[in-house]
Amino acid sequence: MAERKVRVLVGTRKGTYIVESDTRRKSWKVGPVASAGRDVFHVTADPRHPGTLYAAVNSGFWGPILYRSPNWGRSWKEVATPLTPPSPERKPDPSENPPRPVVNLWHIAPGHPSEPKTLFAGVDPHMLFRSDDSGASWAPVRAINEHPTKSRWFPGAGGPCLHTVLIDPRDRRRMYVGISAAGTFRSDDAGEHWRPVNQKVHAPFLPDPYPELGQCVHHVALDAANPEIAYRQDHGGIYVNRRGMDGNWDRIGRVRGSPKDDFGFCVAAAPALPGSAFFVPLTGEARTTPSGGLQVWQWTDAGRRWRTLMPPKRFPGDFGVQREGLSADALDPAGLYVGTTTGQLILSPDTGRTWRQVPYQFPGIHSVEATV
Amino acid sequence: MVEVRLDAMLKEFASRTSLRSEAATVGGLLDELERQFPRLRFKLRDETGAIRPYVRVFVDGEDTSRSSGTRTSLSGARSVEILHSIAGG
Repeated sequence: MAERKVRVLVGTRKGTYIVESDTRRKSWKVGPVASAGRDVFHVTADPRHPGTLYAAVNSGFWGPILYRSPNWGRSWKEVATPLTPPSPERKPDPSENPPRPVVNLWHIAPGHPSEPKTLFAGVDPHMLFRSDDSGASWAPVRAINEHPTKSRWFPGAGGPCLHTVLIDPRDRRRMYVGISAAGTFRSDDAGEHWRPVNQKVHAPFLPDPYPELGQCVHHVALDAANPEIAYRQDHGGIYVNRRGMDGNWDRIGRVRGSPKDDFGFCVAAAPALPGSAFFVPLTGEARTTPSGGLQVWQWTDAGRRWRTLMPPKRFPGDFGVQREGLSADALDPAGLYVGTTTGQLILSPDTGRTWRQVPYQFPGIHSVEATV
Repeated sequence: MVEVRLDAMLKEFASRTSLRSEAATVGGLLDELERQFPRLRFKLRDETGAIRPYVRVFVDGEDTSRSSGTRTSLSGARSVEILHSIAGG
């Protein structure tokens, strides 16, 4: 039987890379770059169709383009790109802003396993699209794109992006999105209706520090074993919610033993470690790792416990890690993967006992996703 | 008849980068190019019809973004060049 491969899908400022190893995860091979020179915000595998990958490619010249590979990145082909729908036939209202085009593709999410051709795309500006034909065509999810609260949404520093799309693996109708700077929203009917779910998440930049919405959520991960548990890295701290994002979020970034600063962008959960999540805290001002070195923190919810995973100064420097820059694979022990904005891909094959850097200087890394 | 030259970077989306056209305006020329090369659609113009910010259309050496844009007439013009502006890093 052929040995399984572990692949890290790397989206960078200058293209897509596929980095391969076997399940020992000791030595790694970097494949040739695809979409060379273009800003690849996210690369993801579709677990329903082994070998199929999607890359959200953004060109400053030619605009956003979605690519699909059927063969683990050996070749790529353009598929349809989600675009701003035309304005409905109605009398124009001079007080309304003209429609904005899709500026960047931020996140591609395969749909529920029961809907093998469904995909979701989060874009800037603040919109969600759905495809039911594997990307051959897209339709806007109007209920969130035209949400009644939209006039109260802000753009974040990265732009007004819908960057997180989560599907409850138990129920295709339950979905969540994360939007900068609007917050997280939940749907229980496959996107027909949405409600904000941001209770008790701090928004220090707003007059009401705990508003219903407007928080700048950076990324959210669902627990691998219990999707009622969500881990949130927000501009306003690190949180967990144990009730499907309903009710209060618990700011775990302020409990005993937590990082000194609970700002950051990324969060990841590992199938082999239910009840845990991983973060890379950054200083709020510089948005780089504190204390002169890269560090990954693990939260264990049952014990309400934090621990650091890297020896101090294992990787000295001031690193930036973006919202999709942290991933865990599905093996046991779980592998952890960090992609930095300065182009380092750093990984652990054993959930933080040992660490190594892939010996390749990548362009600045936007996203990493480990797939087996 | 006007000679049209496309930026070499557009080779991924258009099978030729040199051609001729009888389009009356720059907008008409872009429509024609998108019909001939469907993958050019939304690459030179976004979905609202606006020419993308880093795309430049030159008619007889004049940058149309500083004048009439897609309404620029091609009557009597000899050449059109569609290029990407120098930017990025």
